[in-house]
Amino acid sequence: MAPRGKWGSEIDFYLALPLLTGVALIQTTVLSRIDLLGAHPNLLLLVVLIWAVVRGLDEGLVWAFVGGLILDLLSGGPLAATALALLSAAYLAGQSLGEEVGSVALRVTVLAALGALAYHVVLLLILSWTGHAVSWGSSLARVGVPSVVLNAVLAPVVLQPMRWLEQATDRDGVVV
Amino acid sequence: MRQSTRPQVSIRRDGERSWLPLVLLILGLLLLVSHESGLLAPVENAAHYVLDPLQRVFWSVTGGTSGLFQTVFERRDLRLEVEELRAEVNALRVESVRLREYEAEVEELRALLNFTSEYPMSSILGADVVSRAACESYPCGEVVGLEPNPYLRYVAINVGAQQGVRAGMSVVGRGAALVGRVTEVGPRTARVQLLTDPDSSVAALLQTTRGTGLVVGQQDGTLQMEYVSQEEEITVGDIVLTSGLGGFMPKGLVIGQVTEVQQKEYETFQTATVRPAVDFSGLELALVITSFEQIPLDGMESD
Repeated sequence: MAPRGKWGSEIDFYLALPLLTGVALIQTTVLSRIDLLGAHPNLLLLVVLIWAVVRGLDEGLVWAFVGGLILDLLSGGPLAATALALLSAAYLAGQSLGEEVGSVALRVTVLAALGALAYHVVLLLILSWTGHAVSWGSSLARVGVPSVVLNAVLAPVVLQPMRWLEQATDRDGVVV
Repeated sequence: MRQSTRPQVSIRRDGERSWLPLVLLILGLLLLVSHESGLLAPVENAAHYVLDPLQRVFWSVTGGTSGLFQTVFERRDLRLEVEELRAEVNALRVESVRLREYEAEVEELRALLNFTSEYPMSSILGADVVSRAACESYPCGEVVGLEPNPYLRYVAINVGAQQGVRAGMSVVGRGAALVGRVTEVGPRTARVQLLTDPDSSVAALLQTTRGTGLVVGQQDGTLQMEYVSQEEEITVGDIVLTSGLGGFMPKGLVIGQVTEVQQKEYETFQTATVRPAVDFSGLELALVITSFEQIPLDGMESD
């Protein structure tokens, strides 16, 4: 990741916390109502994934951890389950996989699919580990796979505002 | 205007190996273990003081005012007189919607009132649902619920410890239908594990034969009544009620209706699929049973 000054880091922190809290609240109050054949849009996952792509691994991981913890506090599930699942997704998205592919939207779509798959697998692993009843086949078939597809399709839509945010908050020198 | 000096999309890479992934992974695992052991309960309660009111605000804003914003936007270009007239119409419309809401609420409260007269031994608390997890867009049985966590089914309700709610208390909806059980209590909110959560299990009995079993939530949003003796006759349409065994919840709350029976000669028990009595997608009001008369354990009394 490119070196960032103290000012830039502070801006990121003050931006990230309310932004991620807002996204988590939207997730639990608005997006929880949407169900498309078992698939659920996951805005926080997409925001974290795309931030890892445009801002690099470290920032993506921090956003994943903080956002995941906020969402966990709004959930009935175990604390840090979502945080760890988002970490796995951000870790994948923050790699330089497929940079040679010309289209950023295509790359983000593929990374979103991989990241979402990792997210669901890790989430189920943690639920299983913490003693929740997990039916792997049914869970992945009914929820996991449809959600992976839906979020991969939605990723390019979220990419545009995230690119704008990335440029607007960049203190390394570049705002038009 | 400053000139951009980098590619249109900045894709950054770390030139050096970072310890951050490992640090966050270990921190996450530590939090997970601490949460499971209950060590983090005070910290989580403190966080709920901040997050719960925000959640309630988001719920009320997103649930109620989107149409109002749209109306305001549409009026912008109209002349004053037309604006006044439309404002009046809008006010009447809002009033009408509010009245319809009140009508629905009165109906709901009437149903809940029936519950209180049927169960005079119970103390109850009313609550609005402020966040929901399951069966939002489609009929139950078809939808796999989501919370933030798509594999669990919980709702948050806006009564909590300050109103006397404790973990383990039963929650019912209209018609004395069981909604679930309180699992986590904040100062002014509580999290309710729905009947359909895969981890939910409730001691139950069949209304007609009085055969007992255990009703367990399923991933697809239905319920399974398990551990029913092969001697019991289960028929499609049977009503399933709470048995009150274990003393965790009152006897006689409606769980659902049998829709399918799975009986195999070689198995010790038979199983039935049960359709929940509660339409979780339309759940707006719920009652927390804060106290109830437990079933006397006659059989265990020695004298």
